[in-house]
Amino acid sequence: MLADATPTRPLVATGPAMEMVGIGKRFPGVLALEDVSVTFEPGKVHALMGENGAGKSTLIKILAGVYQKDMGTIRIGGVETDLRSPSDAIRQGIKVVFQEIALISEFTVAENIFLERYPVNGMGSISWKTIRNDAAALFERVGFKVDPSAKVGDLPVSQQQMVEIARALAREARIVVMDEPTSSLTPNEVALLFGVIRRLTGLGIAVVYVSHKLDEIFEIADTVTVLRDGRHISTKPVGQHTHDSLIQDMIGRRIENLFPRSRGASHGEVVVKIENLSTDSKLKDISFEARAGEVLGFFGLMGAGRTELAKAITGYDPIRTGRITIGGRPLSPHNTSTGVGLGIGLLSEDRKTEGLMLDLPVLQNTSLAALEQFARYAFVDEGRERSAVQSFVDRFRIKTPNLGQQIKNLSGGNQQKVLLARWLMRGLKVIVVDEPTRGIDVGAKSEIFALIDQLAAEGLAVIMMTSEMPELLGLSDRIAVMAEGRITATMSRENATQENILNAAIA
Amino acid sequence: MPQSPSTAAAAGPSSAGALIRSLFRRNEAVLLVCLIVLIVFFSLASDSFLTVRNITNVLGQASLAMVAGIGVGLLVISGEIDVSIGSLAGAVGIPLVVVMNATGSLELGIAAALALSLVVGVINGYLAAYVGINSLIATLGSMFVIRGAIYLYTGQKAIPDDLALESFYQLGNGRLLGTIPYPAIVAVVLLAGFIYLMRHRPFGRKLYAVGGNPEVARLAGFNVKRVKFIAFVICSLLAGISGILLSSRLGSAVHVAGLGFEFQVVAAVVLGGVSLAGGIGSLAGVALGVLILYFLANGLGMLNIATEWQLVITGLIIIAAVAFDELKRRRK
Repeated sequence: MLADATPTRPLVATGPAMEMVGIGKRFPGVLALEDVSVTFEPGKVHALMGENGAGKSTLIKILAGVYQKDMGTIRIGGVETDLRSPSDAIRQGIKVVFQEIALISEFTVAENIFLERYPVNGMGSISWKTIRNDAAALFERVGFKVDPSAKVGDLPVSQQQMVEIARALAREARIVVMDEPTSSLTPNEVALLFGVIRRLTGLGIAVVYVSHKLDEIFEIADTVTVLRDGRHISTKPVGQHTHDSLIQDMIGRRIENLFPRSRGASHGEVVVKIENLSTDSKLKDISFEARAGEVLGFFGLMGAGRTELAKAITGYDPIRTGRITIGGRPLSPHNTSTGVGLGIGLLSEDRKTEGLMLDLPVLQNTSLAALEQFARYAFVDEGRERSAVQSFVDRFRIKTPNLGQQIKNLSGGNQQKVLLARWLMRGLKVIVVDEPTRGIDVGAKSEIFALIDQLAAEGLAVIMMTSEMPELLGLSDRIAVMAEGRITATMSRENATQENILNAAIA
Repeated sequence: MPQSPSTAAAAGPSSAGALIRSLFRRNEAVLLVCLIVLIVFFSLASDSFLTVRNITNVLGQASLAMVAGIGVGLLVISGEIDVSIGSLAGAVGIPLVVVMNATGSLELGIAAALALSLVVGVINGYLAAYVGINSLIATLGSMFVIRGAIYLYTGQKAIPDDLALESFYQLGNGRLLGTIPYPAIVAVVLLAGFIYLMRHRPFGRKLYAVGGNPEVARLAGFNVKRVKFIAFVICSLLAGISGILLSSRLGSAVHVAGLGFEFQVVAAVVLGGVSLAGGIGSLAGVALGVLILYFLANGLGMLNIATEWQLVITGLIIIAAVAFDELKRRRK
């Protein structure tokens, strides 16, 4: 079956499989990629590396036809091409194994593998027999143990990931892109995957490999390209890199003094205590404390479990075992209304769907959590509501023409301030902020940092989840590093360096 | 018939007990048992239920909902819905009868009726799939527009079949060998064809994929909008066929024909195990859902249960069935 992975169109024996030249991509308010050029050679494994937000995912989505580039040129086999849709990319022989599982969970494994092009008989009917046999043969060849007739939704994530990988190999391919393909594989399965990758390169296929795991890069890659802040930093043969030089290229920026600091070094009593917390989703045996007036920063790479932790300790997501104590009282029953009652609130990483009511005005968005305070005879006293909201708008310098402005018309930074105001109006002991500056431009970032500093100065415990190193080092009093659902290191701000944080995160 | 992937998965376990259990996990098996229990119950409770005449009568009535239910079923599987089918089924009687009266040709009348269905399907599909209006809202709109247009054109009166064409009468009322109603034959042929489509043609699988996870379908290279658009057109054409049969049974184009029909059909689709969220369900299930609703109504009538109570019972059964489905899914 892997024979089918051989491109049927003639391979250009010499010359790159794909060239991306001067690629640029802009999203509203963010320049995600700027003038990135990279060349993928046939028969080579090309690793793409960079911190979260460096632009790897954007580049891959452009490769896959999911996003369209705003600038630059793509040449495939020497021919200039526009990838306007995923089907364009598939037709060009580009196979992408996405980080998020992209399978139809109601379909069988075998059907998912042949989703892109069903084998049909002379009458145009799907040949289920071919699908089953070919899928079984494919797994046999690759060495993955997955039942082709199982329903994908019934399989554990690691098996789904293997299906996802196998699917990319089912048809002729010129370029196979793997975005963190090993995130839920066991070491044995990873070894099988590497065997498959070597066979692919042996067939002259270009493999683009994205991973945070340095050991994997040194084992499998021929060439490494590092991106940072949407720009191309370096492309070198892997032999010219060391662990340190790679990390250096990935983080290499200097930390600007974005971080005002008004609060002192001493902290109050313990207001959050987490003991042996585990969840079904990800978290394993998490324990920590946070004190009033302290900013505790959690760092972790994609999939480390930061958001899961934020949601578990605020009562959004269920936990399996462990104790959560807020201000001396247990978070029980485990739900958000208990949480808010005890004084812990979550500023979600996903402002648009989990934070804001986009079509409602600033007024209602701000006062939402504190409506009881303005109640008079079961009605909201709008005068008091307005004056309370106005005082926060002034204090936080929220830029809005008036309180009736729909929140969706505000900038990301101002939206985030409204969400912070919402919780402060309610009166909290602990605020958990998850990626507080995602999608916010640099100027507004420093205002958000100043607000977080101010909150801690006023005696809140702030638990901050972030994947941004400067933010972590600039704001935190203490730092906890997560990897694969566990806390792998805890350190004071003084002892923290980018290197030891990243080492703990990659563990 | 070759096995579909899901029956292949169900046939995996070798022991008889496991086979029965896996069979019961299949929604159609549960529905079939419910239908049989229902029929046995009414046969015992009423002498006039289990007669050839009564059973074939019910099948004749149920055929109209089954034809429309195939269309709504596949549309809901693709993640959309159409509630304008009742109005459309009523509306197609007008071009049918008007053209027939003018030309004396049943075929031309049917062609005119299908042309109207096609236009409505294209408009619904364009609004929902390409403009991006929520399909419940878009088709709710067309439901009112079409019904209003019917009243405006007919002046709230029925348009009679002036020529009293025998072929027109036979279409909805005739019986093969004096037994099997023609509409039932139409329904069974369409059902078989569309079950084949859903299981064994790439387009059918695309409907499931698009409803199950549109983003994955897009990444797999499917044109999600086009797939949904075609589903709307198919749904309207089937509603049109259902309306042609309805008009023949009524012997004219009746301005109130098809009122409330859309909700009977949606109820049967949901009862048949199709998830309104899309991606889950089967047309065999839809057919069983239709039969259960129609045999239930017929049997309750035979037991002289007041229509008021029939409505209450039907509603409770739909809620219970969907709740049962939901619980089963959650336990997994």
